[in-house]
Amino acid sequence: MAGAAGDVKALFSSLKSAYVATPTKLKIIDLYVFYALCTAVIQVVYMALVGSFPFNAFLSGFLSCVGTAVLAVCLRMQVNPKNKEFKELSLERAFADFVLANLVLHLVIMNFLG
Amino acid sequence: MAMAGRAIQVSSIIVILLGIASGSLSLPPDRSLHPRILVLVDDLTVKSSHSLFFASLADRGYRLEFKLTSDPSLALTSYGEYLFDGLILFAPAAEHFGGSVDIASILDFVDSGRDLILAADVGMSETLRTIANECGVEFDEDSNAVVIDHLNFAESETDTEHSLIAADTFVASSAILGEKGAEAPVLFQGIAHSVAPANDLVIKVLSASASAYSANPEVQLNGPPSLSGTSISLVSVLQARNNARVLISGSLSLFSNKFFVFPFKKFGSSTSFQRSGNQMFAEEISKWVFHERGHLKAVNVHHHKVGNLEEPSMYRITDHIEYSVEIYEWTGKTWKPYVADDVQVQFYMMSPYILKTLNHNGQGLYTTSFQVPDVYGVFQFKLDYNRLGYTTLAISKQIPVRPFRHNEYERFIPAAYPYYSSSFSMMFGFFLFGVVFLYHK
Amino acid sequence: MGSRSVGAVGSVFASLILLLIGVLAFSIRLFSVIKYESVIHEFDPYFNFRVTQYLSKHGIYEFWNWFDDRTWYPLGRVIGGTVYPGLTLTAGFMWWLVNSLNIPLSVETVCVFTAPIFSANASWATFLLTREVKGTGAGLAAATLLAMVPSYMSRSVAGSYDNEAVAIFALIFTFYLYIKTLNTGSLFYAILNAFAYFYMVCSWGGYTFIINLIPMHVLLCIVTGRYSARLYIAYAPLIILGTILAALVPVVGFNAVMTSEHFASFLVLVLIHVVAVAYHVKRLLSPQMYKMAVMFVGMVGMAGAITLGVILVTLVAASPTKGWSGRSLSLLDPTYASKYIPIIASVSEHQPPTWPSYFMDINVLAFLVPAGIIACFCPLSDSSSFVVLYLVTAAYFSGVMVRLMLVLAPAACILSGIALSEVFSTFTRSLKYQAPLTVESQGSQDMDPSKMNNLSVNSKLGEHSALGEHSSDKPEKNELKEKSSKRSRKKEKDKEVLLKASESDKKKRLLGLPFEASAVGIVLLVILGSLYVVHCVWAAAEAYSAPSIVLTSHTPGGLHVFDDFREAYAWLRHNTEENDKVASWWDYGYQTTAMANRTVIVDNNTWNNTHIATVGTAMSSPEKQAWEIFQSLDVKYVFVIFGGLVGYPSDDINKFLWMVRIGGGVFPHIKEPDYLRDGTYRIDAQATPTMLNCLMYKLSYYRFAEASMDGKGYDRVRRTEIGRKNFKLTHFEEVFTTHHWMVRIYKLKPPRNRLRGRAKKKAKLDVKSSKLTSSKLLPRKNPF
Repeated sequence: MAGAAGDVKALFSSLKSAYVATPTKLKIIDLYVFYALCTAVIQVVYMALVGSFPFNAFLSGFLSCVGTAVLAVCLRMQVNPKNKEFKELSLERAFADFVLANLVLHLVIMNFLG
Repeated sequence: MAMAGRAIQVSSIIVILLGIASGSLSLPPDRSLHPRILVLVDDLTVKSSHSLFFASLADRGYRLEFKLTSDPSLALTSYGEYLFDGLILFAPAAEHFGGSVDIASILDFVDSGRDLILAADVGMSETLRTIANECGVEFDEDSNAVVIDHLNFAESETDTEHSLIAADTFVASSAILGEKGAEAPVLFQGIAHSVAPANDLVIKVLSASASAYSANPEVQLNGPPSLSGTSISLVSVLQARNNARVLISGSLSLFSNKFFVFPFKKFGSSTSFQRSGNQMFAEEISKWVFHERGHLKAVNVHHHKVGNLEEPSMYRITDHIEYSVEIYEWTGKTWKPYVADDVQVQFYMMSPYILKTLNHNGQGLYTTSFQVPDVYGVFQFKLDYNRLGYTTLAISKQIPVRPFRHNEYERFIPAAYPYYSSSFSMMFGFFLFGVVFLYHK
Repeated sequence: MGSRSVGAVGSVFASLILLLIGVLAFSIRLFSVIKYESVIHEFDPYFNFRVTQYLSKHGIYEFWNWFDDRTWYPLGRVIGGTVYPGLTLTAGFMWWLVNSLNIPLSVETVCVFTAPIFSANASWATFLLTREVKGTGAGLAAATLLAMVPSYMSRSVAGSYDNEAVAIFALIFTFYLYIKTLNTGSLFYAILNAFAYFYMVCSWGGYTFIINLIPMHVLLCIVTGRYSARLYIAYAPLIILGTILAALVPVVGFNAVMTSEHFASFLVLVLIHVVAVAYHVKRLLSPQMYKMAVMFVGMVGMAGAITLGVILVTLVAASPTKGWSGRSLSLLDPTYASKYIPIIASVSEHQPPTWPSYFMDINVLAFLVPAGIIACFCPLSDSSSFVVLYLVTAAYFSGVMVRLMLVLAPAACILSGIALSEVFSTFTRSLKYQAPLTVESQGSQDMDPSKMNNLSVNSKLGEHSALGEHSSDKPEKNELKEKSSKRSRKKEKDKEVLLKASESDKKKRLLGLPFEASAVGIVLLVILGSLYVVHCVWAAAEAYSAPSIVLTSHTPGGLHVFDDFREAYAWLRHNTEENDKVASWWDYGYQTTAMANRTVIVDNNTWNNTHIATVGTAMSSPEKQAWEIFQSLDVKYVFVIFGGLVGYPSDDINKFLWMVRIGGGVFPHIKEPDYLRDGTYRIDAQATPTMLNCLMYKLSYYRFAEASMDGKGYDRVRRTEIGRKNFKLTHFEEVFTTHHWMVRIYKLKPPRNRLRGRAKKKAKLDVKSSKLTSSKLLPRKNPF
């Protein structure tokens, strides 16, 4: 057990050190994703407490959070300098796609929110 | 004649359909204020022997025409139009009718909404038996059998078989028998008939008592008689679905002058009656048969949303609506408002979702208001009014009920405020993130 | 310089060919308009047409909120929430556009021609999709094949205004955008993909195929180790955006997240996130750390996954159908419908197909497809694995329901296009390298695309003349000679290149097939293509162009037209009151509401089984009970379809077994064995008394024996004499029978005015006979 605990500690410390090395831009994206997922979890907890009456409102709120998180992850993949397949994709183009996608997502969410 | 018969059938079917479609049938549109009645008799002595009855009819404004059944110029219709508004058949033994009258034309006469009084007696013909059977009344198969009651007869010297009965079992309806009803028992001498219990259009106005039976007095009885007791009806009326009224009596002498003024004493009771109840009974029941009483019409059905006055073509669920109808009764000369507390309307779609008793204002206007149920579909306002002695009112008006439109729901639901706020916060967060991401060095 | 100009010529050729393909797809579907008239076919299109009329008249908000009170009386139907609006909105938009440009096309014309227009679009979408997989040549071949394939044509002829006309285009386009996103990894295409999926959801209930196929493909990619960032970008935004867009469509609503048909996509979404995180962490950590992480996460994750799985399974198992809809269940278990849902089993389109229907519907493609599968495997890419998976699943589903052959058709066309293009390129390459020495090698690279285009042009020429196959290789050889002579002047200047080229030339010559074999192979392929074309044109002209509302037969005197259906609907429209209710079997409901404009009791939507069972029970009951059932539904008119006089086989007596089964499923007093003699339904003298007394028999055969010439009443469809003749109807009266007795309309008699007594009637009521019978009876005494 002590060996396992020690292993786990070593695991976490290596994770942490690897993460610190990532560029700031990517960390901003990660923070945004984290914020979105927290909001999503809050909404699920609220629904579990109160019941799912305006289900369309719950669905649109939840999916808006998860949706922006997913889009941000896509942006992260495209912007990450370590990804070789996106070498010729410029930052501006990736961000423009991201903005467009979010606009569409939030428009649809507004419509479905009721 | 076949063409005329078919034309009459078609026109009668059309009239019936119109009647059913529009609810209660008003009186036939060509009925004048002085209706014409054809009286068919075997021989013209009936005219004088029943003169009191005919006089009472004439006094009330009816124009009577007397004809023999064998008259070759007999006709109920001429070129598709009916010549009479009522028919009285005081010819129990008539086999054939002259002219264009026969069983089919008499039944078409009834089916067109016109009234019939039929009196049978001992030795009635097959023709009359068939007509009565078509109206739902089954006469005793032996046409010589009379109604005999050994406990309720009227004492007289001529009658030894106790076939002169003093009957006082009346139907309980003030519409049929008038306000006062019959004050004295009604004298009856004739044949018996019965009505099938499943037949709900025929009413037994005057029934025999429990001790009566129908038998031929000259023939010895071998077994129990086929008709006996209270199942024997002495006088019945049929109110057809199109509100034509048919009176069938087993005795022609019930209407005669002799029975009208006959003082008698009933067997087993001490009271002696100076006058029988026959005149009162015959007059009142003829008033009912010729629609001077108990004839209703329902008109001016209106429904609208509370607040508006116009009738919409579609309602929405949970609307509040008002319904109103006017019901009148015919007095013989005019329509007077009908007053009753038991008229109900249903809001019906395969089963009644709402059933409400209508409130009246004394002038014949019946109203009520209710809320449309939470079910959508095609509903009907159904007014079904069936009271003993009154014409049937059956009106239905179809109206669809739609569900909510997309913008008729609650705009903002309080329970959903967290979701609204989270969506807006995500949008704001995205905007902030975009700014930070772009302008971060 | 040369290659660029040839490339430009090639792309011009390609666009020209695409245009021609579009024109071909449009015009091959016009046979029914030419042979009959511009009329809407079948049953479902009439409902779509009526909805489009309403939309064009009242606008989109009224359409969205429309409560239809003229169908499913007295329950009504909320159209806004139960119809797939894609087709209607598309046709309505086209009508509005055309009319705002002041071209006065009627709604009917736009509806009739919507399907051919969208099949042209579908061919172009197939070109785009196949080009993503294998290249332009394959794309053109696949597009040509799809323009003509009989299976797709059967549901998209001019006049067949049904959901599939638009939905197949949406299906192919969605797949194209998915593959494009997968190949490029661009988020922009992912958004477009979500919109195309939204359009598909609007159009057809078959969208569940997409939302299950794509997760399956993603799973396949993950399992075969082909996970990449592009896969994530192609999949995750589609699912999120697609789900919320699907929930916007009223007909789908919350089913987008609640039904089992969508669970696969959510499961794979979770899975792809797990895989993405795993890859990401793997990149961050060293290998041993990674192994430790895997073990740690594995233990924790296992416990969480098991609890989640248990919760999910209990939730799903709680519902009796495990969350699947009836139709989807019948796809997974083909015997489900016949056991539990007779309505689904009764539709002929839901039966499994027979082998001949494969050859009828996709013809030559049936044996080009395996070659295409092999071509997809060398080399295997994400897109080609997707196409193979699409074909395999579509082949399975088409084997369950004949209606889904339609979904197989694009897959078959794509794979056949790939196969054809690969084979042609192999043959032409062999031809080039094995050809006699007049051919120079330098131009070989440049000539490839032009050759391929030449060949496709030649295959199109082949459709105009079936004998073109002999002439096809001659001009090709001539062109070879011309081009080679042009280039030979250039090449005399570069001799070193010639030397090098001849080296690679020899190698290629060894790899190619012998010259004669490839020439013969090309000829045979062109013959195959022309056979396919001939079959498709025949199928379009003869088999799939019948409008089914008008029937024809060829008599010695010429063409005889049976227009009975429209005659009957016109009679109803002109001779009945506006609010009269008409009852018939559910097949004819849509046509009655659309053409006769009367309220019906049940129609083709078949959403309420009890209501249909009520009508079925009424048709199977004796006259009096049937009258009472119809009276309780306020019905005024009843009509039946009868084919016994002319030999029309799809009449109501042949459908009667479904009326009994569906009615008996809800009302237990209708028992099927009562109507069967020796296990079959009969209407001759051997039929059971229940059958001879039921309303369907009486309404079909009333006056049939009297009206036939020999008085025997020979039914041409059942091929026997009828069992009960010369009977009278007591509660119904006949009001109209069409010219060929195909539609018979009856009216309910009103309740009798007087109720008769029970005594026997001794005298007849006839005017003539009352006098005659009484006078006739008297002399009938024994003279002796």
